[in-house]
Amino acid sequence: MSHSRAERPLSPRLSIYRWRAPMLASLAHRVSGLVLVASVPMYLWFLEGLTGDEASFRHMLQVLHSPGGRLVLGLVCLAWFYHLLNGIRFLFVDAGWLETRPAMRVSARIVLWSALVFALVIGGLL
Amino acid sequence: MAAETIRLSIFRYDPESGEQPRMQAFEVPLLRRGMKLLDALHHIKWEIDGTLSFRRSCGEGVCGSDGMNINGVNGLACITPVQGLRQPIHIRPLPGMHVLRDLVVDMDHFFAQYRSIEPWLQNDEPVPEHERLQTPEERARLDGQYECILCACCTTSCPSWWWNGDRFLGPAALLQANRWIVDSRDTSKGRRLDRLEDAYRLYRCHQIMNCMEACPKELNPTAAIDNIKREILNRKS
Repeated sequence: MSHSRAERPLSPRLSIYRWRAPMLASLAHRVSGLVLVASVPMYLWFLEGLTGDEASFRHMLQVLHSPGGRLVLGLVCLAWFYHLLNGIRFLFVDAGWLETRPAMRVSARIVLWSALVFALVIGGLL
Repeated sequence: MAAETIRLSIFRYDPESGEQPRMQAFEVPLLRRGMKLLDALHHIKWEIDGTLSFRRSCGEGVCGSDGMNINGVNGLACITPVQGLRQPIHIRPLPGMHVLRDLVVDMDHFFAQYRSIEPWLQNDEPVPEHERLQTPEERARLDGQYECILCACCTTSCPSWWWNGDRFLGPAALLQANRWIVDSRDTSKGRRLDRLEDAYRLYRCHQIMNCMEACPKELNPTAAIDNIKREILNRKS
């Protein structure tokens, strides 16, 4: 073969692969995990603001009630809910309780739809 | 039969031309009811464009040669009916692989990973006069493991393998590894688990489950990988 491996093109992968529920559920688990990690310093910042003097307390309340603040709170809540629910699903799979092909598919759908419903509820409350 | 046509869009790459890969449109008549995608590829190769390259052998889902990406999901062309597929049917080589020509990809690394799990029965006990016997229950543990035909549909559907395929063994090799781990006649289970217990080789699996969705034999590599993880956990506790 005259062409070395490096010269050969790589066939398209993520850009063309069709998204199925379990793939979406797994990716959303990683993303929600990242959001939760990022929310820890933010939470400490909220806490510091709310436990300072009266002026900083009022300022932090304003921040939290602003549209941006509500959006952030909503997203963190959603990430928490999703990561918890899908994390339990993963634990079940790890333990061997959801290991049939239909169970893997249906459980992914249940988790994703639940997160959507939760997002709507949170959106309504905020 | 009315002259119904099937529209296809096929990945083309010619290493001699020096050009980038491209998608090429084809139209093929619906030859008969129950026509398979491989029949359409044969029609193109034999009647329209003889330069179209793809692998196939048995034509009935046993040899695993014609794994390809069909409308975004990996599968075997020979057992995929064209009717029911959304048109134009997009056909690409198995994802994340080095393309040799058109739909033919370099399988060397895939088979090297398969070899690395030592896919043969290992037993250091004296050879018995007759067969090494199993109970029906022990034999049943091999169901869902031994049927793998190494078509690479699962491994090349796995994002973890796309990104870490140099070190992560991928679903096909791990399913095969599990096939020997659960075999009651194999006495190398401990050594097999030792070799798999690695942050990359085994634990890069992130339960994406594309392998389970892609497997044309309806096996479940994700479950096999989880079983290996449990076997490793069991011997620790």
